[in-house]
Amino acid sequence: MHSILAVDDSASMRQMVSFTLKNAGFNVVEAVDGQDAYEKANSRDFNLVLTDQNMPRMDGITLTKKLRENPKFKSTPILILTTESSDQMKQAGRAAGATGWLVKPFDPAKLVEVIGKVIR
Amino acid sequence: MGETTNEGGHLSAGIDLSQFYQVFFEEAGENLETMEKMLLDLDIESADDEELNAIFRCAHSVKGGAATFGFSDVAELTHQMETLLDKLRRHELAPNTGMVDVLLASGDALKAMLGRHQGSGAAAVDTTELLTAIRGHVSGQTAVAPASHIAGAAEPAVAAPSPAGATTAAATTDGLRSLELRVGPLPDPSVADNLVDLFKEITNLGTIEPLDAGRDADGVRRFKVLTTSTDNDLIDLFGFHVAREHVQLMPLSDGYGFHEGAPGAPPMQAAAKDLGYGFFDDAPGAPVEGTSNPAKGATATGATAPAATPAAVATAAKPAAAPKVEKPAAAAESSTLRVSVDKVDQLINLVGELVIIQAMLAQNSKDVDAALHQQLASGLADLERNTRDLQEAVMGIRMIPMSLVFSRFPRMLRDLAGKLGKKVELLQVGEATELDKGLVEKITDPLTHLVRNSCDHGIELPADRLAKGKPEHGTITLIASHQGGSIVIEVRDDGKGLNRAKLLSKARERGLDVSDAMTDSEVYSLIFAPGFSTADQVTDVSGRGVGMDVVKKNITALGGTVEIDSAEGYGMTVRVRLPLTLAIMDGMSVGVGKEVYILPLSSVVESFQVQPGMIKTIGGSGRVVEVRDEYMPVVDLERVFKVPRFDFEHVSNIMVVVEAEGGRIAMLVDELLGQQQVVVKNLESNYRKVDDISGATIMGDGRVALILDVGSLIRRSRH
Repeated sequence: MHSILAVDDSASMRQMVSFTLKNAGFNVVEAVDGQDAYEKANSRDFNLVLTDQNMPRMDGITLTKKLRENPKFKSTPILILTTESSDQMKQAGRAAGATGWLVKPFDPAKLVEVIGKVIR
Repeated sequence: MGETTNEGGHLSAGIDLSQFYQVFFEEAGENLETMEKMLLDLDIESADDEELNAIFRCAHSVKGGAATFGFSDVAELTHQMETLLDKLRRHELAPNTGMVDVLLASGDALKAMLGRHQGSGAAAVDTTELLTAIRGHVSGQTAVAPASHIAGAAEPAVAAPSPAGATTAAATTDGLRSLELRVGPLPDPSVADNLVDLFKEITNLGTIEPLDAGRDADGVRRFKVLTTSTDNDLIDLFGFHVAREHVQLMPLSDGYGFHEGAPGAPPMQAAAKDLGYGFFDDAPGAPVEGTSNPAKGATATGATAPAATPAAVATAAKPAAAPKVEKPAAAAESSTLRVSVDKVDQLINLVGELVIIQAMLAQNSKDVDAALHQQLASGLADLERNTRDLQEAVMGIRMIPMSLVFSRFPRMLRDLAGKLGKKVELLQVGEATELDKGLVEKITDPLTHLVRNSCDHGIELPADRLAKGKPEHGTITLIASHQGGSIVIEVRDDGKGLNRAKLLSKARERGLDVSDAMTDSEVYSLIFAPGFSTADQVTDVSGRGVGMDVVKKNITALGGTVEIDSAEGYGMTVRVRLPLTLAIMDGMSVGVGKEVYILPLSSVVESFQVQPGMIKTIGGSGRVVEVRDEYMPVVDLERVFKVPRFDFEHVSNIMVVVEAEGGRIAMLVDELLGQQQVVVKNLESNYRKVDDISGATIMGDGRVALILDVGSLIRRSRH
């Protein structure tokens, strides 16, 4: 079963994402911010990381950068959730090494669909 | 890939978003509280970047959730707040009090909206003024034009991208927003065509076109809308034809994307179209186009990084670059558990029963020879210790910090001081002190009144203060601390204090029995007398003559006491002392005949043996006793409770003086049995309300003892 690390400082978003992905047959590990995610990512493997952008302690962009520094996550898909669809944000995500982005709000089904494009 | 949203619509039917509403409401509530607190603490002259970021994050987080779960009114207002806060944190605008005011007011409106969504039955919140005001600030004009109407003469301030590219979701350069409109599910989806006609009839509103080629999916129709109008205005408009809950607006686009070449990104045929999501080229994990391979992807990533806009990277990296104080909130969240109060109360109840059983066992085993039954004795000792620890631990669950009460005061004082033209600073000491949840709820109103009172009557106007050589800012200090088994809360101000002569003359006017020989503390306590107000003028804030007496009554009802300290010209301190919990009480047990009654220890003043001739009968039935030059009514518990008596010779000869609600009585009892902690059982919920009894408890020997309602007995003695 594919494992997904879902990172968001908002508990409701975390629950929604987690529920949706579990429903779609993924194994989900939640993290409350970038720092938490980084620690969890180091202790086990994930097939995909789905992270919010704006979080306390460590944001999604920094998390992405740090994960990419680790050979283990060199080619793992990393998707950034964002309420901002501006080019600036996308560029920041790209520069950090993110695989793609998903604009909030999104439909649960959209999430599954997008993830389906990178995990098969 | 253009068809993907249809698949989405189908799939989403399987997930009911309403199951996450409660978590969202709680989380949004917490975010709004945090935001309010931080706004109040914000130093406008030198606002800290991290603070502004944190405030932004609160609005941002509420917006994200609201948009996801479909609370479009909340999402819209938070979106505007976020736009303003974003400009503040990017230093494109300097914060001012007007902005803080409108953000605070918006926070209030959001709370009301959330309350409404939770079914509070509150009226709909009109945010037109707030939205206009925020836009005014965003565009740098504090004086704002009246609210725009549906046809929306455009809101350039909102929609136009800011110089640094502030991020209005899905905004395009000409101020038009592209939205996806979903209508339904409707029994007859063709009704949606009426919306299209209506939309087109209004000039300058924008364009609308179907996204679904006129076919509905499960009764839901989808349209693409390009408009300058706000979500609310649109929903209002569509409300003519379909129920509001059937209209959903969201940023257009498929909402995701991949970076070309990014690791794991899928083939890029969709790259040109804004789907609302995307994958970066060659980024790790991006779905790979036929020829791409991970090695190439990794190289490309390395190459793209330095090429990125330096500004963008710098901004994004900022929060992490300064990882100042660790934010406890997020970390704490994962280690806390939300449990309903009912469950905790049930636990407390069970522990209460256990304590009683343990006490019964201890009582019954008193006569057991410890030498013969060593194991039993040591087992009972362990049981006693563990029971006590368990009780303490369980009571601890209900304990919450005083900061939950204190947190409401900064905002209240800010508004109040503004209204009164005063300058007041609030200091809080010991806000981590814990108190039972039930008490916290009940002490909030009395404390609020005391704080208001200090601000209204205590603190002088800035000019008066300067004239007296005091600092222009008055200070109100809230102090909470544990003292023995009680919690002491002080409300201290450095205002004008109480004037002894004025209090006395006022008391005489009111016909109260006073004398010049009274001590200061007795004179100060006069402000707790019903209908007593020293304010020369009744203000909007307090001083309506109800208040301090109610404060005192409420605190007394909780088993607490209030006292006042003051120095004229220097201020006043009101000290409230409360028991830590309502579930356990320090009691004094007294015996009358074969009955045992419990008196709250906090109300007991003294006890003494009755000497012949001490009790005097006045005016027929009333009996009084003179204690230290004070006459007080005698209440014979034997008569009040009609205690059966077989020893007709016996005469109760012990007096216990008790005090409540500003009065004292002497109770006649047979014997004083001792002091102990008792677990209070509610009589009303288990039996019915009984006059003069506030509850019951079970004694160590298994007998039930009634807890006396001293206030009620004192009232009875007055008639």
